[in-house]
Amino acid sequence: MAEELLKGGNAVICEDEKGRGWKRIDSPSEVRINHNEVPSNISYKEFVFSKTEPIFYFKNRKENYELAEAADGNGKIVFLGAKPCDARSVEIMSKVFNWDYKDKFFNEKAERTIVIGVACSYKDEFCFCTSVNINPASPEGSDIFLVPLDEKEYAVRIITEKGKEFISPYLKYLTEGNAARSEEALGKIKWPGKKFEPGKVREWIGNNFEHKLFDEIGSTCLGCGQCAFACPVCHCFDIVDEECSYECGRRMKNWDACQFGLFTLHSSGHNPRDNQNKRYRQRIAHKFKYYADKFGEILCTGCGRCSRGCPVQIDIAQVAAEINSTANRV
Amino acid sequence: MNIYKPELMEVVEIIDETADTKTFKLKFKDTDAARNFDFKAGQFGEYSVFGEGESTFCIASAPTRKEYIECSFKQVGKVTTALRKVSIGDTIGFRGPYGNHFPIDDMKGKNVVFIAGGIGLAPVRCVIWNVLDLRDQFKDVTIIYGARSTADLVYKRELEEWKNRSDIKTVVTVDPGGEDAGWKGEIGFVPAIVEKAAPKAENSVAVICGPPVMIKYTMPVLNKLGFKDEDILTTLENRMKCGLGKCGRCNVGNVYVCKDGPVFTYEQIKKLPAEY
Repeated sequence: MAEELLKGGNAVICEDEKGRGWKRIDSPSEVRINHNEVPSNISYKEFVFSKTEPIFYFKNRKENYELAEAADGNGKIVFLGAKPCDARSVEIMSKVFNWDYKDKFFNEKAERTIVIGVACSYKDEFCFCTSVNINPASPEGSDIFLVPLDEKEYAVRIITEKGKEFISPYLKYLTEGNAARSEEALGKIKWPGKKFEPGKVREWIGNNFEHKLFDEIGSTCLGCGQCAFACPVCHCFDIVDEECSYECGRRMKNWDACQFGLFTLHSSGHNPRDNQNKRYRQRIAHKFKYYADKFGEILCTGCGRCSRGCPVQIDIAQVAAEINSTANRV
Repeated sequence: MNIYKPELMEVVEIIDETADTKTFKLKFKDTDAARNFDFKAGQFGEYSVFGEGESTFCIASAPTRKEYIECSFKQVGKVTTALRKVSIGDTIGFRGPYGNHFPIDDMKGKNVVFIAGGIGLAPVRCVIWNVLDLRDQFKDVTIIYGARSTADLVYKRELEEWKNRSDIKTVVTVDPGGEDAGWKGEIGFVPAIVEKAAPKAENSVAVICGPPVMIKYTMPVLNKLGFKDEDILTTLENRMKCGLGKCGRCNVGNVYVCKDGPVFTYEQIKKLPAEY
């Protein structure tokens, strides 16, 4: 089945063998479904929201500028083996890319995605999906959802119309399932405990913007931006020009992060978020309050990547839990 | 549609405002784009020099004047340095108009007080001309403008024109020490000059833009004169890249300055985290 899938002009994206990130695979032997292993260091968002991509090309013929559109691919982008904490990322980000103006660079890729999710049986001290209303057995965000039954066997659940259409040519590879067996497998999954109540955190941030808690956390943060780049839903970007040659160039849309001092620096030298405390506060407030207020989604899936990768051990779930307990004390 | 792709604009006129500030008059190269273009006072755009990047400025001309748009910029960074080298006849990029606008219709029938400092006159000038082009629909118009020195005053020719009009009260000031031998205007900082000019607050709207420090000290003066927070309008100048509510740069609290602003009342600003 994987072979046929790969031949169909589809880009099949799996976690790489070292767990660093996700990559487009070329052969069925590279298929990896890591339902019981730690999530990759970075998420697969780069296949929808590119690390760097041209948004148009320009050609300078003295006074005459010609703008050429940047081309995009076609064919399906199949995320194979997305844990529930990854499966929702595209739909969460799609709110900001579509709330008024539509970003075609995101949308053209998002429309081509097929998310083949997998029930997750991995859990470590950094996991907190249940605190942000996601759970390891949830098919939310998936078009097709796999439930691991044993080493080599998965129950396949068709979740969306898109998933149904996608899988129809491959039905011949599937055998009749036993719903009770997959229910039993899902029932055995141990959920990470709830670490905080997102509504509490959201409310507290709104009323305690100047709280010293933000200074305590912010003072340890290095501002490296690892958390934003690893995150499945962080979506800030920069727009910069690149010269290709003397006569032509391109304008690029590149990943950026609110953790960098230059992010908000005015040309006058004034910087509204002039220290790391404010920048870390922005990260927390944007995720749990602003995005939730504006778009009705928490900008976090509880994957724990930012915390696992943080060089100074800032654990976002612990921060939120601390906010929660501070809120409870009041 | 590619929301990031700019229209091509021909620079048809360049005015040197000060040693480091210029005003460009721009015309759309594409006739359809020119015909379809419309904007409201207070909106802004992304101006680009291809190969150097984009920069955010307000549209400094008034929407009542449709054949062109103008922008004024001070040379401070990479893009504005490149813009400075642009000559008449050259092509630059423009995306816009973006953001909300001044509530011109709600201001009709009221007194309007304009207060600006330095290059902050650019966005205010757009509203000034909008109001002056519909002069009979507004009551008293007062313009209070200050700069560090006489050499830093922008739109000098228009300041003269406004001063000579009997239907506007125009007060121009420079910071102490910034005057030259022939200076006939006021000397003093904007907040003090506003207090001295004492525009009446009843049935009035104030439009204010300038350096953060000027705004900070002018607000209490306006409150003292009786202006209510909801009748004081300003335009925030957060750093932006996309101008479309996506890139995250201008996010302050629950708002994206580029989409929900840049025009806010002082009442709205007081509710935002102080990150502007």
